[in-house]
Amino acid sequence: MGLLYGLIAVGLALIFGLMDVVNFAHGEFLMIAMYATFFLFAFFAVDPLLAAPLVAAALFVFGAVVYLLIVRFAVRAKANAGMVQIFTTFGLAIVMRGLSQYFFTPDYRSITHSWLGGKTVSIAGIFLPVPQLAGALVSIAAFGALYFFINRTDFGRALEATREDAGAVALVGIDKNRVFALGWGLGAALVGLAGAIMAMFFYIYPDVGASFALIAYVTVALGGFGSVFGAFAGGIVVGLVEATTALILPPSLKSVGIYAVYLLVVFIRPRGLFGSL
Amino acid sequence: MTITRRNVLLGATATAAMLPIAARAQTSEVVIGLTYPFSGANAQIGVDAQKAYETAAEIINKNYDFDLLLAKGEGLSGLGGAKVRLVFADHQSDPQKGRAETERLITQEKVCAVIGTYQSAVAVTVSQICERYQIPFISADNSSPSLHRRGLKFYFRAAPHDEMYSAAMFDFFDAMKKKGTKIETLALFHEDTIFGTDSGNAQLKLANERGYKVVADIKYRSNSPSLSAEVQQLKAANADVLMPSSYTTDSILLVKTLAELGYKPNAIVAQDAGFSEKALYDAVGDKLEGVISRGTFSLDLATKRPMVGKINAMFKEKSGKDFNDLTSRQFMGLIVMADAINRAKSTDGDKIREALVATDIVGEQTIMPWKRIKFDEMGQNNEADPVLLQYVGGKFVTISPPQAAVAEASWPMK
Repeated sequence: MGLLYGLIAVGLALIFGLMDVVNFAHGEFLMIAMYATFFLFAFFAVDPLLAAPLVAAALFVFGAVVYLLIVRFAVRAKANAGMVQIFTTFGLAIVMRGLSQYFFTPDYRSITHSWLGGKTVSIAGIFLPVPQLAGALVSIAAFGALYFFINRTDFGRALEATREDAGAVALVGIDKNRVFALGWGLGAALVGLAGAIMAMFFYIYPDVGASFALIAYVTVALGGFGSVFGAFAGGIVVGLVEATTALILPPSLKSVGIYAVYLLVVFIRPRGLFGSL
Repeated sequence: MTITRRNVLLGATATAAMLPIAARAQTSEVVIGLTYPFSGANAQIGVDAQKAYETAAEIINKNYDFDLLLAKGEGLSGLGGAKVRLVFADHQSDPQKGRAETERLITQEKVCAVIGTYQSAVAVTVSQICERYQIPFISADNSSPSLHRRGLKFYFRAAPHDEMYSAAMFDFFDAMKKKGTKIETLALFHEDTIFGTDSGNAQLKLANERGYKVVADIKYRSNSPSLSAEVQQLKAANADVLMPSSYTTDSILLVKTLAELGYKPNAIVAQDAGFSEKALYDAVGDKLEGVISRGTFSLDLATKRPMVGKINAMFKEKSGKDFNDLTSRQFMGLIVMADAINRAKSTDGDKIREALVATDIVGEQTIMPWKRIKFDEMGQNNEADPVLLQYVGGKFVTISPPQAAVAEASWPMK
């Protein structure tokens, strides 16, 4: 579970670290990805595992379009830019939630059978659900790819450079909007991947993003803003803390542990565990 | 004098403002407020509830040849054939929004009665507001026993509460034990709002009284992203019966997690809510063969009372679903309220309250398997008998109590 939290969070971390915009519609991106997976399954009988790359690609386009059509104008605001960005993405979240409730109905959907769904492997008495296991593997692979991408390719360097100084990169011929649009697309694609995997074992409804998004914000803040590796580590920490808390305290208090650790980290190291900003 | 656009606008606004007053004077319509979740995690409940209430209103407002109360004749005869008009408000499953929306219904929409609310936690605030404005409130589908014990004069509930439901479950356990089935240990699994807490407390109390051992009493956070830790504990306890009190989202996740962690409970006896929802059986019905849920309604009744089948068909046409435990109670909520208004011959809160206090409806005039509807001094109807339903072959059959049962319980569940 922790690795999936990490995968959801890393998209958020990417966007935040890239351009200092907190995407409050991140949970809704996840919701859209889950619905996309569900509809691919319901109408074309595409297994979520095969759908995952398609959904990630679709979310990539979606994220880029959202940046070009909406966020690009929000970051241009002359006064109170921070507020404008918050309200823009927050408004986007409400619109997405409302529209999906209108078009998809608020009924709970589930993918009833998939290649991996409902299967369990038992290793020495410990039961591991196959979909979550696959999710963890995909997460690790995605993190690896992303890490390589950011640190070893030209585009990754352009991304970093644009973050450092958008004005200067314009001088050397890098189009800021293009880089940011790709960054948003990448962030959305990652959450798309997470959504496709989660659709295998979680129910789907218009508000599904909210509870995961909150954990994603904590994960990002815990791991350190702008750090891909931080989000990865943060996700693992959150997953472990949640499981441990549930063992010690009554299960209804299990999220208390997550937020307690979060507060502790913020007090002691405000930029997060691996924060570079 | 020239008539400007502004004059026309002013005139129109004034006329519009006068309209509700005129309408109230003639009482050509009776406005009833309904507060449900139409957005958020439980929005589908509200959508289905709306269809149930619209079905009830249609039966009241038009002429139908059913034995149901108010079906014959158009509108409310006590008010010169006045029609019932419904105003729906969205409380988003939030007690504070419920409070604000109820206040709006009463002061802006001028409703003469309020019905709601699905979540017991929201019913707490909604009923308080109704009490303050002296507007009668019918708790159509809330089941927390603490609701009617708060000394409210304008609170009424025709349906059973969770202590009655839980008692029915333990009656059933006792009967099964007599037949030689091994039922000794129970695992309680309930969510952390008033519904789950009250239900869990009632079950714990009954278990102690009747000598069952509670080996796990797990309270969990509703709408959790994961229930793995909770299910691990259930699995470790491995009780004879698992008794969940969960709303739809958590029920789906619970059943999926049970399967993922390789735990097959011997039997599940659920406190309704999520376990009467079509969404749950659409999602994981294959894993629920033989699950038992309490309820107040069963379509079996249609064989004895044909109108139940016909009214169900009307509802199904609107909603695409059969009546379930919730929608049938919602349907009855409006019928009971409209009947009181009809007998009060007034839309005045106090008069409707007096009529509600005097309510005495025999079971045959309802769509429920209840003996009668008659409120005690706390506004609770104690003659609504709960039933236990078992999910067999894709539908529910009544298995308890014996006088309503159409089939033997299959135990343990498959």
